[in-house]
Amino acid sequence: MNILLILGLGGFVGLLSGIFGVGGGFLMTPLLMMFGIPPTVAAASDSNQIAGASTSGTLAHMRHGNVDVAMGVMLLIGGIAGGTLGVQIIKLLRALGNADFLIAITYVLMLGGVGGYMFWESLQGLKKSKNTTAAVEASPGEEVPDKKSLLQRLPFQYEFKKSGCHISILLPLGFGTLVGILAAIMGVGGGFIMVPVMVYLLRMPMHVVVGTSLFQILFTCVNVTIMQAYSNKTVDFILAVLLLLGSTIGAQIGTGIGRRLKADQLKIMLASLVLLVCAKMMAGLLLTPTIMVALKGGH
Amino acid sequence: MKRVVSGVVTVVLASLAWCGLCLAADGPLLFDLADNNLKISTFYNGTTLDVTGKVPADHDVVVQVSGPRKDVHLKEKGKVAGFLWMNKTDVSLENTPAVYMIYTPIGRPAAAFLGPHLNVGYKALLRDITISPASADKAFIFAEYVKLMEKSGVYAINEGTVRYGEPNNGMKEFAATLTIPSKMSAGAYKVTALAMHDGVVTNRVDKNLTLELSGLPAVISSMAYGRPLLFGFMAVFIAIGAGLVVGFLFRGGGGAH
Repeated sequence: MNILLILGLGGFVGLLSGIFGVGGGFLMTPLLMMFGIPPTVAAASDSNQIAGASTSGTLAHMRHGNVDVAMGVMLLIGGIAGGTLGVQIIKLLRALGNADFLIAITYVLMLGGVGGYMFWESLQGLKKSKNTTAAVEASPGEEVPDKKSLLQRLPFQYEFKKSGCHISILLPLGFGTLVGILAAIMGVGGGFIMVPVMVYLLRMPMHVVVGTSLFQILFTCVNVTIMQAYSNKTVDFILAVLLLLGSTIGAQIGTGIGRRLKADQLKIMLASLVLLVCAKMMAGLLLTPTIMVALKGGH
Repeated sequence: MKRVVSGVVTVVLASLAWCGLCLAADGPLLFDLADNNLKISTFYNGTTLDVTGKVPADHDVVVQVSGPRKDVHLKEKGKVAGFLWMNKTDVSLENTPAVYMIYTPIGRPAAAFLGPHLNVGYKALLRDITISPASADKAFIFAEYVKLMEKSGVYAINEGTVRYGEPNNGMKEFAATLTIPSKMSAGAYKVTALAMHDGVVTNRVDKNLTLELSGLPAVISSMAYGRPLLFGFMAVFIAIGAGLVVGFLFRGGGGAH
């Protein structure tokens, strides 16, 4: 594979990672596979490069005060617990039969649902901000919901200052677990699910969401890289380093771009990206394949 | 005395075969590789390999590159719920070469040099492999597998790629440039020249070809397999280090914010 091509792919995905706080695993892995890297190697090496890319992104966001460490740690604990649980669920599904089918359907439904909702919601937001002539440059964190009753009654309430919310730590732990399960089933870092969860369910401001998501992804990918290298031996070091060179630079540029964009613009762009990947997966499920067999070990 | 003579004859024949000089009824076949040990170094992205030789002027030459035989585990795609294409059924092809590339002579259709009777080509492979479960459609699955391998470059029928020189003293030179794809992994392979005349293989010479990791890839590979946990930590450490360095460089450059 051409070195410049790998650098370019890394740069492109790093750019997205910096802008949206999404690890990019859900894009990078299919891209690498398109260029002929085996699925297992692509996924594992990608985790390795995401660890590097998100280090650079997390640092940049930390300097801008965009990382809620307390929230990140809670999500991470939930994420690791959920990930472990998710791996067991996959094992069970494999034993029962068609796990691949369930994985693909989960992918399409999650991507379609999350992407569609984000797209619609931010479109409404953009329309509204145009009508009110930028009187409210609203970040979602300020749109505090009225329905406090049940959530406020949960135990272990904590003030997440950076995120500007006072909620039970059970919420980020619970959502972290849920995302962890989904991420394990879908075989990705989960940033693209985590970001909407923080925006819509935890009501955190978009810029803090991006920084905190990168923080959480960094540790998730460190864990995945070590596990993959240890048990599957699928980490291609040179590929990862080359991707890294491109992506770390891309991440820095992306962070700068992200700062200049409005929250709704960021969301609508991420939503389009998610919908695009969803459409590609749908096409893969619906169109007759050109080759009717695949090597076992990746889907 | 008889035993000594037969011993000498055996040794002479064996050394002739080893030298790649096989004498058959239809004349000699000389064959050699420009290099029989290729190195996979840091920036390796596949390569080419020149092969040359001599055959009787009225013969043709087919060159075959084949890899170690192994069992391949596949998923056959099928429709779920009537409209969704998924990897559905498990199938295995046993005794399948990892690499199979054929180079046929210039100016003639490849089909003239392929077939189970010549032991050359996909149909010959199909005859030799077995499928499990036995109820699966072997010909269909194998044909699809060939498509998959051709896509990654490790299976190929390269028509019209063996070139000939002018006949001289009843012999002619031949040459071909073999493509060694980047997907052909480190290992031991066999490059075979087959002399053909009137639709029959009259002579064959095998040469060993080794693909070997060298330099950084060799170090990394031995570490990844020998000390996987340490390798995982190292990969993470270097990734984070690179992230920190780039982060630092960008701050040094004076960001806008």
